[in-house]
Amino acid sequence: MRKPSPLSAVFFAVVAWPVATFAQTGSAGGWPAPDWNKAPITDANRKPAPRRSLVGTWGPAAGPGAGTQASGVQLKPNDGKPENQLPYTPYGMELYRSHKALEGIDAVLPGKDNDPRNLCEPLGVPRYNHYNLRIAQIFQDDYKVVILYSYDNRWRVIWTDGRELPKLVDGSIEIGGEIREQRFFGYSVGRWVDDYTLEVQTVGTMPDDRVWLDSTGRPISEQARVTETFRRVDYDTLVWSETVDDPKVYTKPWETMRLPMRLQDPRTDLMEYYCSPVEQDNYNKLFGNAASGKGAK
Amino acid sequence: MRSGLIVMLAVVAGLLTPHSFFAHHSSAAYEIGKRVTLKGTVKQWVYSNPHCMLILEVKGEGGEVVVWTNETQAPSVIFAVGYRRDSFKFGDQVTITVEPFKNGEPYGRILGAVLADGKVLGPALSPPPSNAAPQP
Repeated sequence: MRKPSPLSAVFFAVVAWPVATFAQTGSAGGWPAPDWNKAPITDANRKPAPRRSLVGTWGPAAGPGAGTQASGVQLKPNDGKPENQLPYTPYGMELYRSHKALEGIDAVLPGKDNDPRNLCEPLGVPRYNHYNLRIAQIFQDDYKVVILYSYDNRWRVIWTDGRELPKLVDGSIEIGGEIREQRFFGYSVGRWVDDYTLEVQTVGTMPDDRVWLDSTGRPISEQARVTETFRRVDYDTLVWSETVDDPKVYTKPWETMRLPMRLQDPRTDLMEYYCSPVEQDNYNKLFGNAASGKGAK
Repeated sequence: MRSGLIVMLAVVAGLLTPHSFFAHHSSAAYEIGKRVTLKGTVKQWVYSNPHCMLILEVKGEGGEVVVWTNETQAPSVIFAVGYRRDSFKFGDQVTITVEPFKNGEPYGRILGAVLADGKVLGPALSPPPSNAAPQP
């Protein structure tokens, strides 16, 4: 066998170096898991943000638990504190009281809840922003931004090609004079406010008897207008903010989330986290029913 | 050896933040803040969504065997703190710390575990839990 030349050895070393280096820090076998122990961004390691790009694999900067939001939306946990009370309309309060959630100050026992999540229903926008937001992958081209949510492997399109936001009409949505259907993910349109900030408006989401805002049973209706901003602070940091304006349920707009996200390695492999009716049923038989006094096994 | 085990469990339990860790299902069933240490034999390890479950046979003071069913989070959540599909095998002798049900039934959620080989699992990667306040 011919002996490799010194030049080819150097070439191989240069080509292989980044992968080999990464493989040492990732999971065994080259299937890297999310890295939740990254060094903080400081003036010494801060890199400039790319212009008009949100592309990347993003996880909450404070760790995966920061995006879980089990106690309610990030900025307003449903913990009974006066500062976290929401400006419900009478109808909104009635809706909230009709929701039997498994989390929050008014949590009920498993089996006594009516969270559509436990039927494996799609959570919809904006609840996907408030339910186990551990990793989100963002892709984009000249016409759209696509978000891949890790929970339940769901994806969503935000159009950035200049099209108009559909018009909210009573109980429905209108595009070019036609009445269109409501959607779990609504209709999203984004525009660049500056080179580092994308503002996204979403309307046309599902009616309030199909979706919740968060895991504590806060409601949201088909009259909601959701505004998100994605601000690329630097190369490694994206701040994902959200404001909900839903006059049917809330008397005024309010901010739900302002979550710093940290860039993960693009080769990060994500485990599946899904809602399976079969596995849900098995869980209830072995465990969940016991909590509600129905008896398990 | 035993004191070392207790210290390890205490460290794991102390570092855990149960409320945010156990995001999928209700905290209302649990006696929040109570800790029970269980040493027993693995009967079954269910590694699935929405929550993994460890079924453990625990011998009581009178010699009777009590079957404890304990939950933890989904595989994708607990992977980061060391839990794997083969972490618990049938017949393994393990020690776990759980937060038990309020109703006295032998059910709990796992706050930490010491495996048969002495490996300690946890703590969870979560921020501090929110402080529950009285309802106004």
